[in-house]
Amino acid sequence: MAAPMAVKKNMNAFKIIAIGWLSILMATSFSKAVDMEDFFTSEHTNNWAVLVDTSRFWFNYRHVANVLSIYRSVKRLGIPDSHIILMVADDMACNPRNPRPATVFNNANEQINVYGDDVEVDYRGYEVTVENIIRVLTGRLPPSTPRSKRLLSDENSNILVYMTGHGGDGFLKFQDAEEISSVELADAFEQMWQKRRYHEAFFMIDTCQAESMFQKFYSPNILAVASSRVGEDSLSHHVDPSIGVYVIDRYTYYALEFLERVEPNSKKTMGQFLQVCPKSQCVSTVSYRTDLFRRDPSKVLLTDFFGSVRNVELLTETMDFSNVTMPQTCSKESCGSQANQESSRPLKYAEQFPMPT
Amino acid sequence: MATYLRKPVDFLKIFAIYFIFLCCSCYGSVDDSFTEELYIKSLERGHVLNHFQFTTLWNSSISDENTFKNYRYFPKALGDVLATYKVQELHLSQSQGQWDYEHWGYQPEDAPPGVELWVWFQPQASNLDQVWAELVNALSGLFCASLNFMDSKATVSPRWSFRPMGLASEYYSFDSRLMRYSALPREIVCTENLTPWEKLLPCETQAGLASLFNGVKMYDSSFHSLGLHVRPVCQDGDCTKEGIELKQTLSVVFNPVNNNRGNIQDHQNWSLKSMFDRSLHKTCPVAKFSKLYVDSTLHPRPKMLLTPEPDEVLNTRRGGDKRVYAVYDLRQHTRDSVPFNLQASYNSRVQYQDVTPPPLYAQRFVTGYGLEKGGISCILYNNLDTNLTVIYMETIPWYLRVYFSSVHIEAYGVTIKPYKTQFNPGKDRKLPHQLEVVFRLRPLSVTKISFEFDRAFLKWTEYPPDANHGFYVNSAVISTMLPSGQQYTAVPQNGSTFSDSLKDETIQFFLRLHTESLLVSLPTPDFSMPYNVICLACTVVAIAFGSLHNLTTRSFRAVDPSKMKKGLIDKLKNLLKWKKAEEVKDNEEKDEKKDTEDDTDSPNVGENTGTAARKRAKAPSDSSEEKS
Repeated sequence: MAAPMAVKKNMNAFKIIAIGWLSILMATSFSKAVDMEDFFTSEHTNNWAVLVDTSRFWFNYRHVANVLSIYRSVKRLGIPDSHIILMVADDMACNPRNPRPATVFNNANEQINVYGDDVEVDYRGYEVTVENIIRVLTGRLPPSTPRSKRLLSDENSNILVYMTGHGGDGFLKFQDAEEISSVELADAFEQMWQKRRYHEAFFMIDTCQAESMFQKFYSPNILAVASSRVGEDSLSHHVDPSIGVYVIDRYTYYALEFLERVEPNSKKTMGQFLQVCPKSQCVSTVSYRTDLFRRDPSKVLLTDFFGSVRNVELLTETMDFSNVTMPQTCSKESCGSQANQESSRPLKYAEQFPMPT
Repeated sequence: MATYLRKPVDFLKIFAIYFIFLCCSCYGSVDDSFTEELYIKSLERGHVLNHFQFTTLWNSSISDENTFKNYRYFPKALGDVLATYKVQELHLSQSQGQWDYEHWGYQPEDAPPGVELWVWFQPQASNLDQVWAELVNALSGLFCASLNFMDSKATVSPRWSFRPMGLASEYYSFDSRLMRYSALPREIVCTENLTPWEKLLPCETQAGLASLFNGVKMYDSSFHSLGLHVRPVCQDGDCTKEGIELKQTLSVVFNPVNNNRGNIQDHQNWSLKSMFDRSLHKTCPVAKFSKLYVDSTLHPRPKMLLTPEPDEVLNTRRGGDKRVYAVYDLRQHTRDSVPFNLQASYNSRVQYQDVTPPPLYAQRFVTGYGLEKGGISCILYNNLDTNLTVIYMETIPWYLRVYFSSVHIEAYGVTIKPYKTQFNPGKDRKLPHQLEVVFRLRPLSVTKISFEFDRAFLKWTEYPPDANHGFYVNSAVISTMLPSGQQYTAVPQNGSTFSDSLKDETIQFFLRLHTESLLVSLPTPDFSMPYNVICLACTVVAIAFGSLHNLTTRSFRAVDPSKMKKGLIDKLKNLLKWKKAEEVKDNEEKDEKKDTEDDTDSPNVGENTGTAARKRAKAPSDSSEEKS
């Protein structure tokens, strides 16, 4: 009689203990789940930027200033040079006509040198062609292309694509010699989607009739903004009399004003960025396209595209690695015969001038 | 108790660290050393040359596979490229501006305007055309320059002009198939090229002489040049083992007297602060030594006073040329974290006068007129009193078709026969023309070498986007052996650091000169013509053909004019006509009434005439119908 009672008691106790353990486990797992959610809120793991200036010649100084301003912002917010493809079609900084060599300014007060002293241009001069931009986006580059000229994005990458130059209804002019059409660009983005080369893309374009360039997009997860509608011209902002050319375009100028106040840990949203430069400031109407983008832009952080995701987790416990046997590396004594072959006779320098003097 | 225990633990820790350090230095020891030097020389007419040299010497063979597995000071980015493409020697220079040989003497590392790359591959490398194409692509990514344009259309293998500068086995240097040379005169050099170049240095720009690099000042100069030279060298004096030397050089020529800002000074006073806008705070801690040499040779020109005083003053002779160098050990000067700013002041004004020219210099230019033919002439000035044998090398793009028969060398009207000639004619769209001529210059003479070319028509897709700018022709390269060290500042072949050039005892000096690059116009089509033609053709079609087509294919039929819809003016006119007609009709009616008694037709005169007209109109059609 006592035994079954005792067993029952034990069983009860056991049940209580088991339920207690389970609840503790579940609580911890839930909290862990919360931690994981905080860890991966935006679903992308790396950021890339493709910044293109398509104009050649000195009087298109402002387009180079545009693209270098965005380059500067993007670098400041965390995207490293290895993840930025910068294409500049002409050299303005060291142009013989530049009265301030090695500088490109985006403002007549000449306070910020957007060219800076740490700039790496990947495609320059004659290399900025329609073929190269399509190849970079789709990844179909010749095997000898170096790593810094490749867009090595994957399905977890957020890509910012910024293009500036002279454009028209349905095309963008490259270097006064050729043009890229909106259909080509839409197809390039579709190729990127099919090859899983982006998670989300933000397409920004500052040219005349810029809206026409993104009207033909049909791939998902693209948020696009353009500086002007079809039929409107995008205007430049102001001229720098000491340099003699217009130094920045209106849309990029106001976009930059917005971006200069953004820090890497900022909570500003893309929705706020899309409202930059109303018609009173820009004269042209800034238009954007959100139907292909599945998230609400007002809930998307600006740094999802302009900054770089660097999720770092600090571990407090030590980790043990198993011993890996490496092939015996040579120390000076043991591998003297192999490494530094002592020749039987002394080595000689080549004769520089092979002719009798 | 705790303190007693701590001591052995501390001792163990220190011992462990030391042991690890020892092991690291024993195992796969990377034995390389790094030095940084700056050479300042004031040139004629107020210019000042600053030549930085960063030398890394590595006691390991470049052809050994295990060399490029462990790195210390040698940059890994460059080492990977050298190992992958089996490079024995690599020489890359990027410059902007033209070095004025006549007034400035010779460069420590000679460089043409634009980019020049020449590479010797290891003897076991195969399929060199493919390897070269991949190498230039890799270097273009590494240095942010468009080196990928150095394809077969711009690459040559010179036979005599570019012998290896480093160690070479017996017959290696004779085989010019193992080397490639290419130059792009159009390439610009700017901060975007300086950035990756300076990232190859061990201390980058954080400390050392590289912290003086200020793009805004350096690119506002008369001449600047970046150089990167890799070659195998002797590890020690008896030269039994091979090592690798990496020399990164940066030359910049400032003009403190007239620095393009409008303020002209009288004296050539310069300082590090005025030239670079920065002073030196710290030397590179990993450098073996960090030195500054100022050439303070007294010429018959303003005497220079240096502040602070030099640590050492060397009186040297180089090939008969007396020189005085003021040497500064920068490590001592920046030891107490006092910024070091070297200042030089001159006691009299800059003299703009004729200077003693260097032993050999040259000028090259395009001759001819029009867009069909042309010529290139190069004038070489020999200011020595001995004969001088020179190798003259030209690389001409394929679209300037060179006539080998027109190559002509003369001095004072006397034709000079070349000692040796090598001409590889170009192939359209595949190979450039390559000319190497060896000839002798008479003492104190002016010699001219010239040849002619035809300009080709390019296909319209082959023009660059700014076709009317023109097309560049590479610099000519002139190589010679000088018997005198006058104006010669290069590092000798068996030395590595710049200090080795101060102790140079050789009697012959190998010189390589680069002439100007040339700009040639080709017959360029008017690229707006397709648009113009389309507009014109469409207009012609619309107006001429269109209207003619309408006229010939239109069918005409007669229309009752009164039934026709008329405009306002016509209606007004008709109104007037109708009124007149009414008056006439009234008069007629009055006459008719006098004649006849009744008129059963419609009272309206207009209708009457209309019906009458219709009857009349009908009649001929009836008749026509009957006829048909």
